[in-house]
Amino acid sequence: MGVLEGAVIYANLLTLLAIGLTLTYITTSVPNFAQGSFAIFSSYIAYVIYKLFNFSPYFSIPFAVLFGGFIGVITYLLVLKPLIKREASILILMIATLAWDLILLGMIGIFSESLSKYFGAYISRFIFPYYLDFKIAGIQGIFFSSTFAIVLSLGFLMFLLYKTKFGIAMRASMENPSLAEIMGINVETTRLFSWFLSGAFAGLAGALLPFKQEIVQATGQIIIVSIFAASIVGGLSSIYGAIFGGYLVGLSESLITFWLSKIFGTSVLVYSKAVSLAILVITLLLIPGGLVTIKWRRYIWRSRH
Amino acid sequence: MAFEALISSILLWFGIYSILSLSLNVEYGYGGIPNFGKALAVLVGAFTAGAIVNRILIAMYSIEGATITQRSGFMKSTVDSIIASNPAYGIGLLTLTLLLAGVVGAVIGALYILPSAKLESDYLAITLLAIAEIMFMIAYYNTDLIGGYYGAPVPDVLAFIPGEMREWAFVALILFMTLVTYLFLERTLNSPYGRLLRAMREDPVALQFSGKDIMWIRIKTLAFSSAIASMAGVLYSFYAGNVVGVVNLFARVNWTFFPFLMVLLGGMSNNRGVLAGVLSFVVIWRLLDGYKHEIAELLNLPFDVNWLQYIIFGTLMIAILYYKPEGILREKPIETEPIKELKTKHSEKV
Repeated sequence: MGVLEGAVIYANLLTLLAIGLTLTYITTSVPNFAQGSFAIFSSYIAYVIYKLFNFSPYFSIPFAVLFGGFIGVITYLLVLKPLIKREASILILMIATLAWDLILLGMIGIFSESLSKYFGAYISRFIFPYYLDFKIAGIQGIFFSSTFAIVLSLGFLMFLLYKTKFGIAMRASMENPSLAEIMGINVETTRLFSWFLSGAFAGLAGALLPFKQEIVQATGQIIIVSIFAASIVGGLSSIYGAIFGGYLVGLSESLITFWLSKIFGTSVLVYSKAVSLAILVITLLLIPGGLVTIKWRRYIWRSRH
Repeated sequence: MAFEALISSILLWFGIYSILSLSLNVEYGYGGIPNFGKALAVLVGAFTAGAIVNRILIAMYSIEGATITQRSGFMKSTVDSIIASNPAYGIGLLTLTLLLAGVVGAVIGALYILPSAKLESDYLAITLLAIAEIMFMIAYYNTDLIGGYYGAPVPDVLAFIPGEMREWAFVALILFMTLVTYLFLERTLNSPYGRLLRAMREDPVALQFSGKDIMWIRIKTLAFSSAIASMAGVLYSFYAGNVVGVVNLFARVNWTFFPFLMVLLGGMSNNRGVLAGVLSFVVIWRLLDGYKHEIAELLNLPFDVNWLQYIIFGTLMIAILYYKPEGILREKPIETEPIKELKTKHSEKV
């Protein structure tokens, strides 16, 4: 896998995850620390289904997507909704998602180790080897499938938000929940649906991620920092921001560390996550609203005069 | 697991986590600062012991070796044998490391909270978490700094105590430090400073209107509480004999999430409550850990009990947030000297 190719695949998947995080942040205003575990749990589901049917791993995608959506819905109904009803502060909600992430980690561990016993094989740590993937013109299929996945998901999301009545209701409840409620929109339904979508996107990313990197139980805990970086760099309250940030962070995490490794040697490669975290901290300090809040027009206007 | 070992491990962890949770209580319980990177202060403690003091000792005895891990190992055997015959050396080393960790912790804590000048609430929490994660990542992957994933042995400051007594000596030492921390914090927080912190938590804007510099309070508070938390890091590193217990990838759970759980369980902004929270947590945690093989055998579990532990503590946290957000013990009014006087006068009248 070429460096650029790998970087694009990673950026595609990261963008999918960042869109999910942003979506629930907009509707529920909770930064969800469990987003990474949503994806990794779905990866394990995808792997188990692949093991059971011994068919192409692509066959497990629909299951992983549904499973991801299912966890998303459960997260909202079981963990967040009761707390929101009690008017818990945003910090309390954040702590709750951290706790939920820990619960999911425990479940992933139990699930993977129990199934290892069942299959009589070690499945706690796995990867989809390259020969399971198709190839077009010498490029691994995951490059195309991940690009296709992001295009499809974005197309679906845009169609939903801008072309359907439910989408209008969703946008209205994102913009101003109380006003939307007065206009007869059921804000609860739109919130629930956003959690389903967020989980489903994470499930899709999770089903494809094993083609790119090895999955272990704690991968979700590691990847979550990149997801946060991606969402925040673009602006936590904008879907476009998530797309922009996902590619920026995803590409720079792989490419910057690659270039640095050429200068300083391969020992820098392990710091790839530090790159995204550094981007995150710098963005928060300089432009807390994210890149989408910069008024680019102002700079264009200045340069003309 | 022997019963004695279980008791000593409960007491030991009660001490370490009490110091850490009490310091988190100053920041989060009293001051309302969402320090989601609490683990960083513990890392500073381990860093002081493993990277700074170790290097000083290595230079003092001009020890040669290929890596910091190896050099520290050689140094440890030299220093341990000196401490074995000279208790004052060990106590001196411990005191020196604690003081140094206090200073380094205060400086790092003060710098670390600077982002709060521009950010608050969830954004601040994410930033602090990210800063701590970066530091842990560097400390873990860079094996030249503090040994990374190989760890770095640190001297046994209680080497003069015979083997079987060492565990209990450490327990006594740590519990003594816990008591000192508790009394010190009770005194510090039952003062106008404690009230200032609570005011900052409840309404920072109103506090600014009464002429207080919020940023300065935050810097002072974080310097103060991080200094305490780094001492917990030093104590744990010395107990474990290696910094590897702090410098690992589970830091976010062990050194940030668990202290938050204990503070919320015990009762925010109530030091006695926090101690109760720590004790309840540590007892459950150590029992589960101590009897994990027995539990797995008994229930015929096909997996490691550690995973179950995560589920239990995660659920416990959510349950507290939902059913008992005020914790075991409620917040109490701050008892400054004038208020105490008023109270005694009042009771005399009655």
